[in-house]
Amino acid sequence: MIVYLIKRLLSVAVTFFIVSLVIFLMMHAVPGGPFTEKDMPLSEAVKAQLNARLGLDQPLWVQYVNYMAGVLQGNWGVPYQSPGETVISLLQQAWLPSLILGGSGVIIGAALGILIGMAAALKRNSWIDYLASTLSVLGLTIPVFVISMLLILIFAVWLNWLPASGWGKPERWILPIAAYAAIPLATYARYTRSAMLDTLNRPFVTALRAKGLSERRIIFQHVLRNSAIPMVTVFLPMFMGTATGSIFVEAMFRIPGLGSYFVSSITNRDYPLEMALVLMFTIGICFAYLISDLVYAWLNPRIRLGDDAQ
Amino acid sequence: MTLVNIKGLKVSFRQHGGQIDAVRGVDIQLAEGESLGIVGESGSGKSVSCLALMRLLPNTATITADRLELDGVDVLKAKPRQMAALRGKVAALIFQDPATTFDPVFTIGHQMVETIRTHRDVSKETALAEAEQLLLKVEIKNAKDILNYYPHQLSGGMLQRAMIAMALSCRPKVLIADEPTTALDVTIQAQILQLIKGLQAEMGMALIMITHDLGVVAETVDRVVVMYGGRVMEEGTVDQIFDTPKHSYTQSLLASLRAGESRRAEPGTGEPIAPALELRNLSKVYALRRRGRIFSTYVDFPAVRGVNLVLPRNKIVGLVGESGSGKSTTGMMAMRLLEPTSGQILVDGTDISKLDTGALKAFRRRMQVVFQDSYSALDPMMTLSQIIAEPLNIHGVKSSREQTEEALSWLERVGMDRSFGNRYPHELSGGQRQRVAIARALILGPSVLVADEPTSALDVTVKAQIIGLLKNLQQQMGLSMLFISHDLSVVRSLTDSVVVMYKGRVVEQAPTANIFANPRHPYTRSLLDAIPVTNPRERRQRSFITADDIAAGMPRLSRSSLAAEATAGDLPQLVSVAPGHLVEAIVTN
Repeated sequence: MIVYLIKRLLSVAVTFFIVSLVIFLMMHAVPGGPFTEKDMPLSEAVKAQLNARLGLDQPLWVQYVNYMAGVLQGNWGVPYQSPGETVISLLQQAWLPSLILGGSGVIIGAALGILIGMAAALKRNSWIDYLASTLSVLGLTIPVFVISMLLILIFAVWLNWLPASGWGKPERWILPIAAYAAIPLATYARYTRSAMLDTLNRPFVTALRAKGLSERRIIFQHVLRNSAIPMVTVFLPMFMGTATGSIFVEAMFRIPGLGSYFVSSITNRDYPLEMALVLMFTIGICFAYLISDLVYAWLNPRIRLGDDAQ
Repeated sequence: MTLVNIKGLKVSFRQHGGQIDAVRGVDIQLAEGESLGIVGESGSGKSVSCLALMRLLPNTATITADRLELDGVDVLKAKPRQMAALRGKVAALIFQDPATTFDPVFTIGHQMVETIRTHRDVSKETALAEAEQLLLKVEIKNAKDILNYYPHQLSGGMLQRAMIAMALSCRPKVLIADEPTTALDVTIQAQILQLIKGLQAEMGMALIMITHDLGVVAETVDRVVVMYGGRVMEEGTVDQIFDTPKHSYTQSLLASLRAGESRRAEPGTGEPIAPALELRNLSKVYALRRRGRIFSTYVDFPAVRGVNLVLPRNKIVGLVGESGSGKSTTGMMAMRLLEPTSGQILVDGTDISKLDTGALKAFRRRMQVVFQDSYSALDPMMTLSQIIAEPLNIHGVKSSREQTEEALSWLERVGMDRSFGNRYPHELSGGQRQRVAIARALILGPSVLVADEPTSALDVTVKAQIIGLLKNLQQQMGLSMLFISHDLSVVRSLTDSVVVMYKGRVVEQAPTANIFANPRHPYTRSLLDAIPVTNPRERRQRSFITADDIAAGMPRLSRSSLAAEATAGDLPQLVSVAPGHLVEAIVTN
């Protein structure tokens, strides 16, 4: 187990370096730089001075080595767009709205999706099942910015129940959370339904009924646990994906979250911020998969104990 | 008192294109302590009737009955809670494939405790202790360890024992066993049947044995119901059914069961020139991966060890042994569908074991194979005529129109209508698919056919038809056939000689009649002993032997008793004890 963990952590480290190298090279391969815009009112001398101060005049490999050395010591650099603070302090402010809204969106969406999927599987071909299928198809096909717009239109403009955008008071959170929840809800309703139906059709469920177990115990003890096995692998990566902020949802609801920095760091050629965002996201996804795999093994004795018969 | 009372039971399933009547008016009665066999092929409604009694059918089933009572309770009117109390407590079920009837994510102990505590108010500790006792009762020796095992860690035979133990945990009044041994090896089958029989007598339970195998019925029950097409064809004591079967379906079932006994050995016609297929010292070693702490190591696992085998022209040789004995591996290596680790494969006297793909192609025309699972052996996207004609196409024989014509004529030759040519494999029954597979194998006119358990997935009457077809075609075409099977009754009826494999080695080989009359190796004896009887009067207590017993029972023969020369030694060797009869033994002076 410990050996397995060490192996996995090593592979996280390797992934981290490969991603950092690829992103770094891609970033610099794009023509231009932070201070090459035509309308930038700077003289060539000032630009050269700036480049020199930021180390951008050095060979690429030196820049990379310097940057990574800083990162390994916990120094992620200073964002070009706000030189007064560090990348870390900037992200710390931006992370919170994304985590609160995105995180609760995924959790609420997944929970509702699981419930709807279960109901659909247990009452197959009933109105619940059809409703669930419709919901999940809608959730997966309508783009999230259209959903956001519809939410604003209905609840803020027509009904005037909730504020349309902004950050701060909890009532401003409701609509973005609903928008965030749409995709996990749709995905989870579909996954849960098909995983539950798969399990319900397996012979051991009939065997459990034949033993005289109550239907409730069969569903909650046996069917759910078996169905959860294929589902855990989706949850954490999806959580990471959403909790790091959605560009569209944050733009629609004017939330000062991470999402907007993903865009601005690229358009502004803000190298330190861009690297930090991608690398932190990489680490997050790596750990999400690692934890998923551990939970998967914990749920599934075949993986945990190996597949050798006897 | 009547424990099970079924009168006028009808079950139909709603389906896309209407409904299917699975059971059409069935009457079954069972008294306490009685043992009843329900016999029929798949689709005869035998399992559905019993599942209806337990109300375990899916929602798509419509059940009607004049009477459907279990222990005096009308199960059609019973509430879910009442029904749950009956299941497991009054009637317990054992299913066909034990590997799929345990929940894979909980330990055996957990699942047994759960069953006990569902019906009785006892503490976890008490239940666990009881579970251990039950496992000991079904002859599982290391019961305490097994409780902590997950289902995938146990073999099929062990799991079925655990399933039986679990079924017995609430002392049910009737045990319903639905094909409990179909998924198991023949030696394990005999052990499980004897176990069920013994426990039934000991605990005074009633027993319903659902099976397609009359041999299983002859072994275990007193009274028999024969079902076909959702109806009861015939009912009577087991003696009546076997001695004076009234219904023609029962007669055909019995005929296919007894087919093996009638065949007698034909007198030998002298030694043939060059055998159609000869295997010399053929071995297959797999490297097994052992997971270490950091590095994995590889251990050699010999699946087949130095097998010598001769398949004479125009003969059928049976290759028998339990799963894992290496018989299929040997068959696949003989076709070079698996690469042998060492040894020679001689087809018509030419060694093909080292030939490259191009040179091998010419030989492929002479050797063909029929697999066990006809469903996965046929390409689902091709029509039957395309499937059958494909070998002609591969070897570039004839124009495409002639190929199709020949494929259609082969459809007829294997007993199917030409109009099937445009159908797809999924539209066929298992027997029909196997006919198509046979047509595909024989269309090139091969001289050697390897049939790898071609009938083990088929119903007993269909099995007899396919065996008959293979036999006819073999005689018509002068085929030499290697027939791989674990079904000894089929082997007896079909083959000229038998090769017995055990743990990758040939332990005995002899003309079929000799093997059955005078088995010399302990493993052969245990295989033969495990065949279900074909007559209920021959029922007997069996004593099962373990791998240790087989090793200890290795024949020791003195040199003078042998039919051919051999040198004495401590290592077992294959020696001749009679003309054509070889057995693995230790030779002494």
